Amino acid sequence: MARIDPEFKSEIKKYGAKDFTACFNCGNCTAICSLTEKQVNFPRIFIRQGILGQKEEILKSKELWLCYACGDCSETCPRQAGPGDYMAALRRYAIAGYEPTGITKLIFKSNPVFIVVTTLLSIILGLFLFTLKTDHVVSRWLFDLFPYAVIHAMGLVIFSLTGVSIVWGVGKMSIRLSKKSTVATGKKNGIWNAIQKVILEFSTMNRYKTCEKEDDSYWKEKSAAVQPWFIHWSIMWGFLGLLLATVLDFMLKDPSTSIWWPARVLGTISGLFLIYGTSFAIRYRMNKVTMAYAETRLADWVFLWFLWIAGITGFWLEVSVAFGANYLINHVIFLVHTIISMELVLLFSFSKFAHAVYRPLALFFYFRESQAKN
Amino acid sequence: MEEKQKKQRIGVYICHCGGNISDYVDVAKVKDLVKSEDGVIVSKNVMFACADSNQKEMIRDIQDENLDAIVVASCSPKLHLHTFRNVAMRGGINAYNYTQVNIREQCSWAHSDTPTEATLKAIGLIRAGITRVANSEALETIDVSSTRAVVVIGAGVSGMRAAIDLAKMGNQVYIVEKENQAGGNISQWGELFVSGQKGKDIVEELLRRVKAHTGITLFTNALIEKVSGSLGNFNTEVRIGDEILNLKSGAILVATGFDPYQPADGMFGYKQYPAVITLPEFKSMIDQNPEECLMIRNRRVTSITYIYCVGMRETKGDNKYCSRVCCTSAIHNSIRVHEKFSSINVYHVYRDMRTYGKQEILYEQASKNGDIFLRYDEKMPPVVEQIGGKLIVKVNDELTRKQEFEFETDLVVLVTGMVPRKDSPYLAGKLKIPVGNDKFYNEIHPKLRPVETVINGVFLGGACQGPKNISESVQSSLSAAVKINALTKNPKIQLEPIIARINFEACIWCGKCAEVCEYDAIHPLEMHGKTVASVNEATCKGCGICAPVCPADAIDIAQYTNAEIEGMIDGFVQIVELKKEGERAASEEVTAVAGMKDMPQIWRRISASLDNGTKTIPALARELELNPQLVTYHLMTMNKYSIVEADGLDDKDEYYFYKLKKQ
Repeated sequence: MARIDPEFKSEIKKYGAKDFTACFNCGNCTAICSLTEKQVNFPRIFIRQGILGQKEEILKSKELWLCYACGDCSETCPRQAGPGDYMAALRRYAIAGYEPTGITKLIFKSNPVFIVVTTLLSIILGLFLFTLKTDHVVSRWLFDLFPYAVIHAMGLVIFSLTGVSIVWGVGKMSIRLSKKSTVATGKKNGIWNAIQKVILEFSTMNRYKTCEKEDDSYWKEKSAAVQPWFIHWSIMWGFLGLLLATVLDFMLKDPSTSIWWPARVLGTISGLFLIYGTSFAIRYRMNKVTMAYAETRLADWVFLWFLWIAGITGFWLEVSVAFGANYLINHVIFLVHTIISMELVLLFSFSKFAHAVYRPLALFFYFRESQAKN
Repeated sequence: MEEKQKKQRIGVYICHCGGNISDYVDVAKVKDLVKSEDGVIVSKNVMFACADSNQKEMIRDIQDENLDAIVVASCSPKLHLHTFRNVAMRGGINAYNYTQVNIREQCSWAHSDTPTEATLKAIGLIRAGITRVANSEALETIDVSSTRAVVVIGAGVSGMRAAIDLAKMGNQVYIVEKENQAGGNISQWGELFVSGQKGKDIVEELLRRVKAHTGITLFTNALIEKVSGSLGNFNTEVRIGDEILNLKSGAILVATGFDPYQPADGMFGYKQYPAVITLPEFKSMIDQNPEECLMIRNRRVTSITYIYCVGMRETKGDNKYCSRVCCTSAIHNSIRVHEKFSSINVYHVYRDMRTYGKQEILYEQASKNGDIFLRYDEKMPPVVEQIGGKLIVKVNDELTRKQEFEFETDLVVLVTGMVPRKDSPYLAGKLKIPVGNDKFYNEIHPKLRPVETVINGVFLGGACQGPKNISESVQSSLSAAVKINALTKNPKIQLEPIIARINFEACIWCGKCAEVCEYDAIHPLEMHGKTVASVNEATCKGCGICAPVCPADAIDIAQYTNAEIEGMIDGFVQIVELKKEGERAASEEVTAVAGMKDMPQIWRRISASLDNGTKTIPALARELELNPQLVTYHLMTMNKYSIVEADGLDDKDEYYFYKLKKQ
């Protein structure tokens, strides 16, 4: 016997979905979604569970993470209840629930808190950076004000916090999602099989490609290069490529100045994709080209803009390093680049960025249970 | 019956109808054949019988040729019966010495694929018309004097509103109200949907106008004891205290309204738990509520649950219908409550949401307000229990895969609908108006005659005919008011003379006719020392049910007398000889005599083909250039009637050969 919790819907509304209670259960949203199949239904059932306050059902579901937020459902909804935005709000709620500190809840629900946290973090990171270059003019002045050791320690604590949080979150999600659910067909598929399917989806975005294929879709006549699935692919692989390049740099401890060095080449190409993707995503959100891009919250803007700034500053630095320019402006740019990049990493577990881990994980659990082909 | 003088000078007009008839029926041939019938002086074809020019021609013919009856063979009488009756009258003959023969809807249009047969049928039909009109009588419309007064039963919103318009149009109106106050159900109500106006205010306004009009007399505490008379002359006996009043009127408008459904004790906890109330009770609760917070029995209400379709839409119960207005009323009240106290949690446990028309906007508003909607199936209704001072509701929600949910609530509102008044059978008995399956008063036709009853002069308005909101009730009662005025404004009301007539000499007063009459139109009468049956001309509808039960054959129906009907049958079944002109041969071929029950044309073609040798179905289809399925159908029918028989299989063992069966 499930208990109805009438307060849950007002809680979810704080994460972004304003109108979802207008739903009158016609099911058009579920019908139009290209990612639903016989045993896999969303988003109507989620709206239902949200209205009735069935928190556990929502958090343990895999279908929540199969949605690509394409907005087809929001376009079709006859009550303009915004099911697409509601699914996004639920994911924010889930991410906020997975990490142990409670910071994410505050960030998602309150914009002022978010701004304060981000600003505070940038200051701390900036200070932390100076502790690594103690002989710099500014650093010496700083350490008269604050002890070097304290700042350094603070920085390390913050880094560990994010690391622990994401591990904790992964654990919590795994426990939740491995419970039996409606997509289960009895026999479980092999682990390696599921992993393969996840990698396939990563590389090809095949599931995302099936979205927004209606005759009156905004994307119908447009080339693949500007379509949302490719934009997402660019951002994702752009970031991963840069991550790999950075890791290689770190491991080989020899950040070569030659732009033809393999790691550099990888970095450059990935950087181009990243900037391409984020520029388009920002433009789409500014112009609200479809309902998928109509509701953008502060967390969404921050994520995109930070990635964009990191990309642009990265290019600036690459160019200035290649030309050997050593002006002050480049030092500032370097500082900005590093702060922004580290902030992205630190806020990983507490922001939209966490989807990079949670989505593939959920997809893995889904592929383990379902008989879907892809 | 005396031997009536037959009409000997009959004019027959056969219409082309611009091709609608003449494309299929050979109207020229018909005209020629009919000319030789007994009594026919004029037989003509016309292009459009209803056209002005043709009407004038008919009148000229009547006058020049001294015709005493006419037959018009064209379209359905539903279209031009009155047109041609007027033609007859303008020509100088009685309107009932004209008969309409339908050779369009019932002939040319129905048999457009078999023209020869259509022609034969048309000839038969026209012959029947001729013999009928030969035996017809001259009849006069029955004039009934009309009283320019109306009795309105019920002083609710429907009754009062109609009374005001009736009085404005010049009628004397008597409103008879059973209770000691006018206003009916809505005088109890506060804010109404959609205007937000209060029911009390509407009633006050109407009452003010009723009292201001000199033509309206309102009687309260008035009970109807007896209603007698008929259209134009009703007498309503009304008892007020010890007095009896006799109100004379030309018509009666029944606007008695409805009763709210009272749930049985224990239904969803009604009367069992104090916090379970009906929607009307809830409405008055809100009206009387203090401003700060919603209270029930001195306890604060933090959540409300509405359970819909209580006592309605019961597939196996008494009230199978949907009461139409309750969904809107409940949703409207939920929105009202939310406007004042937005922190209250609301649950709607419904079966279907029927906020029809513009009221749909209210449903959207309630959803946006955060009201929770749970849908239940009739077979699994919600359960209300009281556990430790709180009400717990359990329901299987159809919208969430029939999962069972439970929740706490402070108040349960049973959304109940409209049922007929307890005293409606009493009034139905007095007025002799029928009651439908839903126990509301019955109209003649739900679409085409929604405010009239089978009793001439008794009309229905408002919720007494079926669940309606105020707007719909007023629409219906105003519609009835206008119809009533159309009757009462004439000093005389003209009725069709197509009614039952008694032959007083033959009648032995056995009482059987009075027994079967649905309209209570036959009563015994003392006449020259003998008791005979007598028909009330205003009440009789000419349905004809009394005629066959009379053992003495003393009743006939005007225009449907024995002579006329028998004449029609004789005229129709005579065999017609058609002379067919062949296309190739110069000489005329006389085909076999084609009687009314002769074979269809295709059968003749198949027979002719089989005469030349046995054939299979595909071969026949090829030769006759017909669809093989059509050939199969006809051949099998011919087989059934033993006109053909099978004659072995073909080489491939696929099809049978068929041959004509030797008679």
